[in-house]
Amino acid sequence: MKRSQLWLTLITVFLIIASVWYLYPSLSLWSLSDTEKALLKEKDPSKLLSLEQKGIKLGLDLKGGMHVVLQVDKTKLKPEESKDAVERALEIIRNRIDQFGVAEPLIQKQGEDRIIVELPGLQDVERAQNLIGQTAQLEFRLLETPENTKTILTKIDEALAQKTKEVKPSKEKEKEKEKEKQIAKDLFSKEVIDTTVQEEEAGVTDKPFTSLLEPSGSDFFLVALEDKPKIDQYLKDPKIWEQIPEDDTLAWATGAEPYKGVDYQKLYLLKKKAELSGKYLTDAREDFDQYRRPEVRFTMTKEGGRRFAQLTGANIDKPLGIVLDGRVESAPIIRAKIRESGVIEMGSGATIESARDLAVVLRAGALPAPVKIIENRVVGPSLGQDSINKGVKAAIIGIGAVLLLMGIYYKLSGIIADFAMILNLIYLLAALAGLHATLTLPGIAGIILTMGMSVDSNVLVFERIREEMRTGKTIRASIDAGYKRALLTIIDSHVTTLITAAVLFQFGTGPIKGFAVTLSLGVIISLFTAVVVTRLIFNVRKNYQTLSI
Amino acid sequence: MMQILKKTNINFVGMRYYAFLFSGILVTLGIIAFVFIFMGRANLGIDFAGGTMIQGSFEKPMRIGQIRDALGRNGYGDAEITELKAREIPYFFMIRLKSTAETGSKVSNEVLDVLKKEFPDNNFRKDSVDEVGPAVGKILQQQARLAVLIALAGILVYIWIRFDFRFGVAATIATFHDVLAVLGIMFILHKEITLLIVTALLTLAGYSLTDTVVVYDRIRENLKVFRKKGDFAGTVNASINEILNRTLMTGGTTLLAVLSVFIFAGEVVHDFALALILGILVGTYSSWFVAAPIVLEWEKWSPKRFK
Repeated sequence: MKRSQLWLTLITVFLIIASVWYLYPSLSLWSLSDTEKALLKEKDPSKLLSLEQKGIKLGLDLKGGMHVVLQVDKTKLKPEESKDAVERALEIIRNRIDQFGVAEPLIQKQGEDRIIVELPGLQDVERAQNLIGQTAQLEFRLLETPENTKTILTKIDEALAQKTKEVKPSKEKEKEKEKEKQIAKDLFSKEVIDTTVQEEEAGVTDKPFTSLLEPSGSDFFLVALEDKPKIDQYLKDPKIWEQIPEDDTLAWATGAEPYKGVDYQKLYLLKKKAELSGKYLTDAREDFDQYRRPEVRFTMTKEGGRRFAQLTGANIDKPLGIVLDGRVESAPIIRAKIRESGVIEMGSGATIESARDLAVVLRAGALPAPVKIIENRVVGPSLGQDSINKGVKAAIIGIGAVLLLMGIYYKLSGIIADFAMILNLIYLLAALAGLHATLTLPGIAGIILTMGMSVDSNVLVFERIREEMRTGKTIRASIDAGYKRALLTIIDSHVTTLITAAVLFQFGTGPIKGFAVTLSLGVIISLFTAVVVTRLIFNVRKNYQTLSI
Repeated sequence: MMQILKKTNINFVGMRYYAFLFSGILVTLGIIAFVFIFMGRANLGIDFAGGTMIQGSFEKPMRIGQIRDALGRNGYGDAEITELKAREIPYFFMIRLKSTAETGSKVSNEVLDVLKKEFPDNNFRKDSVDEVGPAVGKILQQQARLAVLIALAGILVYIWIRFDFRFGVAATIATFHDVLAVLGIMFILHKEITLLIVTALLTLAGYSLTDTVVVYDRIRENLKVFRKKGDFAGTVNASINEILNRTLMTGGTTLLAVLSVFIFAGEVVHDFALALILGILVGTYSSWFVAAPIVLEWEKWSPKRFK
């Protein structure tokens, strides 16, 4: 075997291994039935989330969900107000979607004044539309005192611990049975049981809630991002809310932030009552203080200044929560009585970007940018599932028919081409997973189409080999000549397809982008599989007496 | 060795004048369709025209007339209603309204409310909603036009790099021929022009060149023989005949794949697959009857010494 061939063989094998690695999460996910999925979601939501993130992403047309295009209405805004209107609207929408808990939402600015929002898997369409369309609510609220916070958290722990103890004995037997069944069939049996054990252990400790919180200072708690789903689960329990005083509430911070190498999201216990609304703000800008530390300078209206002075004067050295749509954006400590203009210090470790973000939020609260929905597409989950089923059926039959035709027509050589095509399919799916590309129904059609096109290369080569054989050349020489002389034609026929695919990718909307992705990837990969890999297989033998073609 | 056709000697170039007539009709249709689309008078999908489309099913039997009357009573007399029988779900309907209020989200909610009010004991379960404001439709139209222009320009640039002048011009004509012919057929069939149809047209613009390239490569290869015999028409005809099997096979495998999409992949991509099927058929036809004969006619009109 020549050196170059050895290398190509190694590359092929390496790519197969890499493909299996990239495809494993998708395959695991697809092999789960709906009930198993529901079970996993309950037991270990972060595991399911990670599978979904690593697996091939399904487009809205397959998964169901909504795609909304919003237009920021600048007509009623003054020129200086409309300058960053789109940014303000984006910030508000991002914050709201975040609260909605949709996995992998897409929020993107498009063109001058449009915003695209994609919410996969979302079914409560009306609620989402209302949320997106609402005007932003920015409020200043006081936090609960550290002493009270401690008492309340202890009560929550007690309530939860008691609940687990009550529930445990009755469910014990059921769980035992469930476990036995799962060991036999479930791919994740091990993990699932592990987590049940963990949860039971956690239940045994008398601090099910606070054990998930990392105390940090006295104003807030840090929750590791992977524990957040558990806390959210707890927060659905009315038992917890019974322990929290009427006028208090638990609220998440707007985003996650890293702390000692782990991503955390802050959790606050604060008052429900808004001390002051954001409409009193007139402006907010990021800036640097004299030590070049980032800060945000803000100004208030006369009326706002009067109220703010009262509020801050009475609460010096206490934190004041800046709350946007129910989420805590920041909670700076009040250092002095503030009137019409104030400064928020971002702290020594902060970046100017974080100051900018806070300033945008403050301005957004002061000057909400009205948005209107100009495009709205909703795919129901059953239609999505129907599309998946039909797409898969079409793929199996279409690809199967091509495999059969090649095998019958070109015999053993056709089967080699079939092998290359299946390899193409595996590489293509792995590439989709690895590149986090989105698979849509037209994308599935694109896969089927490229499979039909990828064997074209083999047809061109095989026909050429047949021709060369007819002229009386040896089989070896015919194979070599066949590949050599067909190559240029093969490249020609692929380049133009790639050109159109690239254009479609640039201009296409979601489903069509999916088509462009599978088409272009499939065509590029087919150059490798249909030309290089099949040739490697033909080269395994040095001398041919006969050739099945 | 299995072959679709044994050694053939079909007189392709002899039939070229009938083919030119046939192609002329197809291309004219395509141009008419193109003009109509440009004027916004063709059957444009809501992607381009703007509008509302609701799909869903009723729990109990329902007739199109009942829905039409109900919507008509509530000010939606212009609704187009079709029953989709392709899906296995019974009483599955598609309701389309060409016009929308500028705030899209209202129309679909109102229509759904009307259905709820008019048929209180027959629940309508919506499966998909598409609302496109007229402004978005205009933007999508612009983008589609731009995409078509850029894609065609890209293909042309490649053709001109790859072929000499004559073959380049002929390949260009063949590409335009294929796209326009499919557009014309879709127009005659009164198919809705959607983003997906434009996608299919662009895809086949790229793909249909495959067969043309195969034919041209063979003609150029056979020009050596031509130099000796001096029979250009015979050379072209022989070239087409020599590669007949592979053209049928490359077209055939792709056709099989797309046919499966057409039959099994459902309503959404049905017309898309149809356009691709037409494209493969027209592309194969044009490589024999358009791309090659143009080169032949050119040679007759102005002989070129092949050296």
